[in-house]
Amino acid sequence: MLAIPKIDAGGGRISLSCHGSAAVFSELSSTYPLKLLSPRIPEDGVAVVYILTYGGGLVSGDRVNLSVDVGEESKLVLLSQGSTKVFKTRPGHRLASVQTSSHPPPTTQIMTFVVNPNASLFLLPDPVTCFRSASYNQIQTFRLTGNASAVILDWVTSGRRSLGEEWVFSRYYSVNEILVDGKRIAKDAMLLDDPQVDVKPLPERALAEKLKPYSCYATLFLVGPQVQAVITELVRRYHAISIMKMKGPDKVIWSLSPLTGNDHISVIVRVAGKETEDVKAWLGKALESVQYSIGKDVYRQVFR
Amino acid sequence: MNSDDETYILLLLSDSNLPTGAFVASSGLESYMKHGFGSNDPTAFIRDSMASYARSALPFVSDAYRLVSLYREMDVQGSSLDQSSSKLLSDIVALEELYETMMLNHVARRASKSQGVALLTLYTKALSPPSSFPLESDAKGVHEQMSTFFTQFKTMVRREDAHGHLPTCWGALTAALGLTLERSCYLHLFLHARSLLSASVRLNDIGPYNAQQILLHAVRPLVAAETSRCRSLTTGSIPHLIDDGAFDETIHGPANTWPLGEILTARHDLQHSRIFNS
Repeated sequence: MLAIPKIDAGGGRISLSCHGSAAVFSELSSTYPLKLLSPRIPEDGVAVVYILTYGGGLVSGDRVNLSVDVGEESKLVLLSQGSTKVFKTRPGHRLASVQTSSHPPPTTQIMTFVVNPNASLFLLPDPVTCFRSASYNQIQTFRLTGNASAVILDWVTSGRRSLGEEWVFSRYYSVNEILVDGKRIAKDAMLLDDPQVDVKPLPERALAEKLKPYSCYATLFLVGPQVQAVITELVRRYHAISIMKMKGPDKVIWSLSPLTGNDHISVIVRVAGKETEDVKAWLGKALESVQYSIGKDVYRQVFR
Repeated sequence: MNSDDETYILLLLSDSNLPTGAFVASSGLESYMKHGFGSNDPTAFIRDSMASYARSALPFVSDAYRLVSLYREMDVQGSSLDQSSSKLLSDIVALEELYETMMLNHVARRASKSQGVALLTLYTKALSPPSSFPLESDAKGVHEQMSTFFTQFKTMVRREDAHGHLPTCWGALTAALGLTLERSCYLHLFLHARSLLSASVRLNDIGPYNAQQILLHAVRPLVAAETSRCRSLTTGSIPHLIDDGAFDETIHGPANTWPLGEILTARHDLQHSRIFNS
């Protein structure tokens, strides 16, 4: 029996390989506050893992560090259950704890993925929702080799709109770096914060001002042979758009760019919507044909 | 360089007739207006566009500037000069490769490359002194060293071994001319804003007097604030430009801060009719 190396708090490891037609975990482990759950699914060569956190969210100072290895020929679908909530402080402790510093340490989520030859990764979590004054860093690295494929979804909402929160977190930073056969093909770094710079006599400009009228922003990367059908259809739809002078913004807006050069072998899609549900519906339609890779049932679990 | 010399270079580089290709770029403004965002006043757009551009491009201006500056001040000759010159070129290529993979918007990428290459041409054709010009031998040496670098850089871009992006080319050009880094960044953002205002005038959203008024009163504090906010940023990709262990990419690295602007800029080509290239 191999000794399993110790995992630090918030750490996790997923290692999937394909034996015949079955996808088998050689490792699936995590420590508090991270929790990994894998439901049984009927689809050959496909495994699903839910990434969860105890208490349904992350607080200031939490550090999640997940490493994932998708073995040759296998397909891994990573999901979350409900949006990843980022609190400034742990709910319920707010009154008791005395804020000692005006800048609590950020919540950090680091995820590293290795996708081996002919394997596919479908990273399709619910969006991140940062509550008032929360500070969040997300660092994701994807290493693909030899005809590996990846669908990478990274999205963020404006906060708890039922409580009137509209882009009032203090900082959201997300970077996605994708390497194919060791060569970097994309490094998308996005920073949303309230910089509080002094530009007198101009008034301050809140984050909500520059992101309105949208309350959800999504970035979707599509890489590799498994997603060529999705790309082809999106490129067709995108080039069919012709914009005349508009009176006001649409409820959903999206763009598509090739990751490298001018061919559309791998692309980045950005989507913004007035409602999170609108963005979700858009994504569900765009990714309709991934059900041929991951199976109808799994697809429906994601975009029900 | 004394302050008169620096002022003279600033005046020269801020000439709106300088052939840099900025004339055909609106950096997403045309698309933004077409999509029904904003009123006729472009100030909000300038603010958001400049903040995002500063945060994503100034780290590259600054690293390219520092690389060329170090090379310019180096006192070497012969084979060690060749060695440092090829090291400089490979560092610049690495910087540009990073910029290319971070700018995931084909319209902005296209505009950045055409303006960057224009700056390389500007240096070789206009800003380097004529060979017949009587210069002291020290100054002559520096100019020759710089001219060779820009010629090589341009050749690499033509062969597609380098991209020739605007921020790296601007950093290299201003370092070669001996401006301070602070001035270089300041002027770069000023020119970005001025080109947006000029696009706004040509889109018939504002008049020329109004454009100058915005440039003087609204843009001025913005340029100053963004220059100072981005002062300590770096790309983190050139090891000898980083203090040991001091680089945290979530704090000091380049990042795009306006996803809406990214979407609208990338949608430029979808407009039924358009007058700008970006």
